[in-house]
Amino acid sequence: MTPKIRELLFQLFTYIVLVAVGLIILFPCLIMLTTSLKADVNLFQVPIQWIPDPVMWSNYSEAFVKMDQIAHGLTFVRVLVNTLFITLLGMVSELCAVSVVAYGFARFRFTGRKVIFFTMLATMMLPGIICIIPSFMIWKGLGLIDTYDPLVTAAWLGGGAWAVFLMRQFMMNIPQEMEEAATIDGANTLQIFYLIIIPMIKPALLALGVLIFQGRWNDFMGPLIYINTAAKFPLVMAIKFFQESLSHEAPKWNYMMAVSAVLALPILILYFSAQRYFIEGLNVGAVKG
Amino acid sequence: MIQGFLSDYLPTTLRWALVGIVLVALMAATYWVLRRFKVKHGSAVGFVFVLPMTLGLLIFTLFPFLFSFYLSFTEFNMFQAPTWVGLANYTQMFTNDTYFWPSCSLTLKYALYSVPLSLIASVAVALLLNRPIKVVGFWRTLYYVPAVLPAAATMLLWRWMFAPNSGLINYMLSPFLLLFGLQPPEWYTDPQLVLSVFVITSLWGVFGANSVILLAGLKNVPTELYEAANLDGAGMLQKFRHITLPMISPTLFYTLITGIIGALQIFTQAFFMTIPANMGTFLSVRIYQEAFAFGHYGYAAAMAWFMLICIFVLTLIVFKSSSAWVYYENEAK
Repeated sequence: MTPKIRELLFQLFTYIVLVAVGLIILFPCLIMLTTSLKADVNLFQVPIQWIPDPVMWSNYSEAFVKMDQIAHGLTFVRVLVNTLFITLLGMVSELCAVSVVAYGFARFRFTGRKVIFFTMLATMMLPGIICIIPSFMIWKGLGLIDTYDPLVTAAWLGGGAWAVFLMRQFMMNIPQEMEEAATIDGANTLQIFYLIIIPMIKPALLALGVLIFQGRWNDFMGPLIYINTAAKFPLVMAIKFFQESLSHEAPKWNYMMAVSAVLALPILILYFSAQRYFIEGLNVGAVKG
Repeated sequence: MIQGFLSDYLPTTLRWALVGIVLVALMAATYWVLRRFKVKHGSAVGFVFVLPMTLGLLIFTLFPFLFSFYLSFTEFNMFQAPTWVGLANYTQMFTNDTYFWPSCSLTLKYALYSVPLSLIASVAVALLLNRPIKVVGFWRTLYYVPAVLPAAATMLLWRWMFAPNSGLINYMLSPFLLLFGLQPPEWYTDPQLVLSVFVITSLWGVFGANSVILLAGLKNVPTELYEAANLDGAGMLQKFRHITLPMISPTLFYTLITGIIGALQIFTQAFFMTIPANMGTFLSVRIYQEAFAFGHYGYAAAMAWFMLICIFVLTLIVFKSSSAWVYYENEAK
């Protein structure tokens, strides 16, 4: 075998494996989609119906009607607004806090800076569950259990350490000349932050925004602990509630897959339109860290 | 909807805005006070800018962290003040709790299987992606998909695929089962198989993302090293063993550490899959149940601290071992 043929075979092998792995990844996603479009009678049919016939788009609306019946008052619009409310409000405050805090770490020297910074990094290793009980006590003491406050208001106080870390890295790469020039022109710190830094960090804000959105949209532990009333549930909780009540009867897998698809779809759209940010954000921590 | 707006969204939004305003006022006041005490402008501004994080760390991390340590020595149900019980929670946990050790072993086994498997799979895929192939971006995007999907949705999906009577997995296995005259596997109820459902699901969820991380590591390996090795007549395996592996070991190390910490904390997945009662459940879920379902907050805090120590010890072992296998280019030996 000449080296050229060997190389060609190896290349062929590479593509075969890449396609196979791609199929392993795509296949379950397609199963979610086809199941969500099947009629009840076709759900357990053997041999398996790969393409649903009839295609039941109505499963999507019926699933949410059913959800409204089980969890009183949790209509499709309501659950969507709940989820968006938790996600967006928390995201806005987290982004504000992250950029302010990261600016402080990136540009100023003050006593305690290192201590605060390394404490912050150390908390990334801490399992979330350990702080849950006292945090719950705080919110209970404030009388704010079963409101969205614990999920959105705490985000003013910095949010994720990884986000601050990424933003700080980004700011350290911005040359300081602009700020120095502005200082000579008589701009104060707030003006510099607002007029120079914010426009410069827009790409980083977008990237973090996407990642924070995804994290908050998918978050399960927070709502599970703080939200009790069914009408206030975000989508993830609604699915859990739905799943628990539906598995008592014959499992309505088509409804459950329809609701799961509704949960996954916005994240997929966001991912495909901003995938660069997802992968970049992920790599910064891994390769530079 | 309107009622929900008035009773749920509006008060929270107002409080949210108020907290934001108060925070800004607090920052301004801190600056004023610091300046009164003759702190330099730059230091004062820096301190004020990181004030939100400092407060957040104090209120929602350090206080809870220490307070849960105190709670772990008490009996506490949220209604009465905590009563001191000494080490009773810990002795109860180690000697008297039927579900504690099974839960520990389930969590550990899960981490022990899922983390190395996903590392091996992702190194293999990353190596393939690093070959001269067309449209790397396409494959990268595709492989990363499972990692962004909500854990709730993927777990529910895999639960459906593993359904014993009607699920897709058993359907696809049925020709082989028929051939060997075997019963279809009971994925939900067989203790050995339940764990594998979780491992397979997590593998599907993370190996693509890990291989994208490792690919970035591979791209950083200088090509001169391979050229030099080629001149010396090194084979593919030798190059992998003596160049690729050492050069990507820092990235591998990062993936291993985050993988272990993440796997030991597995939580959401357990709520969308049934686990036989005698197997216990994952530690985080046990802690959640003891606290929020049974109201044993002190006991739950003790368990959380035990889990923290386990994670700490495991991470420490990996860190200690790293000097033997992680290679840093700029490190002075």
